[in-house]
Amino acid sequence: MSTPFIQCRELTRTYTRGTERITPLDKLDLDIDRGQFVALMGPSGSGKTTLLNLLAGIDSPTEGELLIGDTPVHSLSRGRLAAWRADHVGYIFQLYNLVPVLNAYENVELPLLLQSITRQERHRRVSNAMEAVGITDRHKHYPRQLSGGQEQRVAIARAIVTEPDLLLCDEPTGDLDRETATSIMDLLQRLNRDEGRTIVMVTHDPATTRWADTLLHLEKGRLLEHEEVTT
Amino acid sequence: MSRLLRLIPVVFRTIRRSPIRSGLTIMGIAMAMYLFTGVESMRNGVRDATEAGAGDSMLVVYRENRYCPFTSRLPEWYVDRIERIEGVKAAVPMQILVSNCRASLDVVTFRGVPGDSLGASLSPGTEIVAGSINDWTKRGDAAIVGESLAARRGIRVGDRFNAAGVAVYVAGILESSEMQDRNSAWVHLPFLQEALRRGGTGGFVTQFNVVVDDPARMDEIALSIDEAFAHDERPTATRPEKAFIGRAARDIVGIANFAGILGWGALVAVFALIANAIMLAMRDRIRDHAIMQTLGWTGPLIGWMVLVEGAMLGLFGGILGAFGAWLTIQYGRFAMTMEGASIEISTSAWTAIIGTGLALALGILAGVAPALRLSRRSIASSFGAV
Ligand SMILES: Nc1ncnc2c1ncn2[C@@H]1O[C@H](COP(=O)(O)OP(=O)(O)OP(=O)(O)O)[C@@H](O)[C@H]1O
Ligand SMILES: [Mg+2]
Repeated sequence: MSTPFIQCRELTRTYTRGTERITPLDKLDLDIDRGQFVALMGPSGSGKTTLLNLLAGIDSPTEGELLIGDTPVHSLSRGRLAAWRADHVGYIFQLYNLVPVLNAYENVELPLLLQSITRQERHRRVSNAMEAVGITDRHKHYPRQLSGGQEQRVAIARAIVTEPDLLLCDEPTGDLDRETATSIMDLLQRLNRDEGRTIVMVTHDPATTRWADTLLHLEKGRLLEHEEVTT
Repeated sequence: MSRLLRLIPVVFRTIRRSPIRSGLTIMGIAMAMYLFTGVESMRNGVRDATEAGAGDSMLVVYRENRYCPFTSRLPEWYVDRIERIEGVKAAVPMQILVSNCRASLDVVTFRGVPGDSLGASLSPGTEIVAGSINDWTKRGDAAIVGESLAARRGIRVGDRFNAAGVAVYVAGILESSEMQDRNSAWVHLPFLQEALRRGGTGGFVTQFNVVVDDPARMDEIALSIDEAFAHDERPTATRPEKAFIGRAARDIVGIANFAGILGWGALVAVFALIANAIMLAMRDRIRDHAIMQTLGWTGPLIGWMVLVEGAMLGLFGGILGAFGAWLTIQYGRFAMTMEGASIEISTSAWTAIIGTGLALALGILAGVAPALRLSRRSIASSFGAV
């Protein structure tokens, strides 16, 4: 077998708040292969978001190693981490994904502004991404003029516009009704299957786990079980 | 580098799309810069009118201890004695009549000079731009009007106009590098004395304008003139013209100096306005910054956007206020006149450009502290605040 895409070795994150020390992630060992679709469940406060933030390079581990691709993410400086993030990670939250003063098109365009590409090329990529998520008719709409599902689609378009290897989703359907959630999950699955993007998704909703191929349970900073979900 | 430039339109959008907040901030900055530019123009005018230049050669002989043209009365025949004093090139007796002796923005100052002395009483940088001296000489009630005064009052050649109870016919318009000349109306001395007859002014004038041979000897010659009349019934006080203006218009000079403090205060207000606007905006945008950081923005990049925002607010407000003031002054042609001495509010495009530059610099300065704070802020703590 080839080496896993993501390797967490004794990954630990400790927060100190005054004299209190909280360790939401405690010596976590985890491998994720390229192209896997992982659903991550667990009670509130179990460290799911903390893990996702470490994988995204938003937060840095207190101890342990994190390798993604060939990159030792745990040892990158802040500046390099930001550049790495821009190239390799797409992040989708449950809420508040979009910058309210920018319209849908401009929101999707944002990450491309950090790249040295022409305006035409930017336009091409933004249009492609918006087409891929099915919101071509909403270019000029502001976030407040979009439904929850449309907002999430714009967020996904922005996450994939830089063509990252890794998509991280923190309860992407948590605020959506069943029908809309289904269409968003279909979309994520398509990105996973057709384009081979690795997805790690935090969810509270067992129904959404059926789109994933792997289900992980986190509790008090440790993995409980590691079971394959048959699709 | 090009990355920094690409972010500028994004900042512009965020400003444009909070029109109320941005509009109020920019309006405040504009008002303050309007005030600043206005005050600076006033101070420029005072400087031009009262600060002596190396080439100045004009002395004003006034009645000792008198400050208003209504009370300074000197015998017209003094002119012969003054002209005999060594170093004096020419002396012109002059009757001054003002429509208002107090400090005011729209005063008409008449200067009565003998018919053959008009040329000598004008400074070298003077030019008749409409009408002619000939026409002036031919008519007893003719006036040559300074170009600033004419512009302010909408006066043209061939017009008649009336001020301070004197009605004159406009024979010409003159343009001059000298502020006093631009703001006066020249008439015939006997005509003005006649008009003032009810006060019993015949044979008397307000002052003598004296041109000296050598600018370096101004003070010395002024002293000899005053010595010559020291024991006369009507002693004189002679000063270089700029010093005379500074003294006659001392209240205006005082106001201008005080206004200078207001000008600096306006700059402080600009700084405070921008700093406040940015701080409020930053609080509102913690979430946006967190999003941008997940997309690969570094702290310094976010700091850069904050600096650009401050700069833009300063620039827009500065342009509006400074050029607004410039236009107002340009078209208003205001001159503050007091006791017959005129001080123009004189602005140049430079004043407006410097004002705009200052507003821009203040905008950047106001952004520095928040920008530094944001650029050091860790991304996790941005999320913590979401
Ligand atoms: N920046 C921080 N500083 C201090 N404590 C933190 C910080 N971020 C998270 N924690 C703590 O770490 C623990 C795990 O938080 P985390 O957000 O990972 O939980 P979660 O599994 O995502 O929960 P939920 O399902 O409610 O989103 C919590 O007790 C939380 O209070
Ligand atoms: Mg969470």
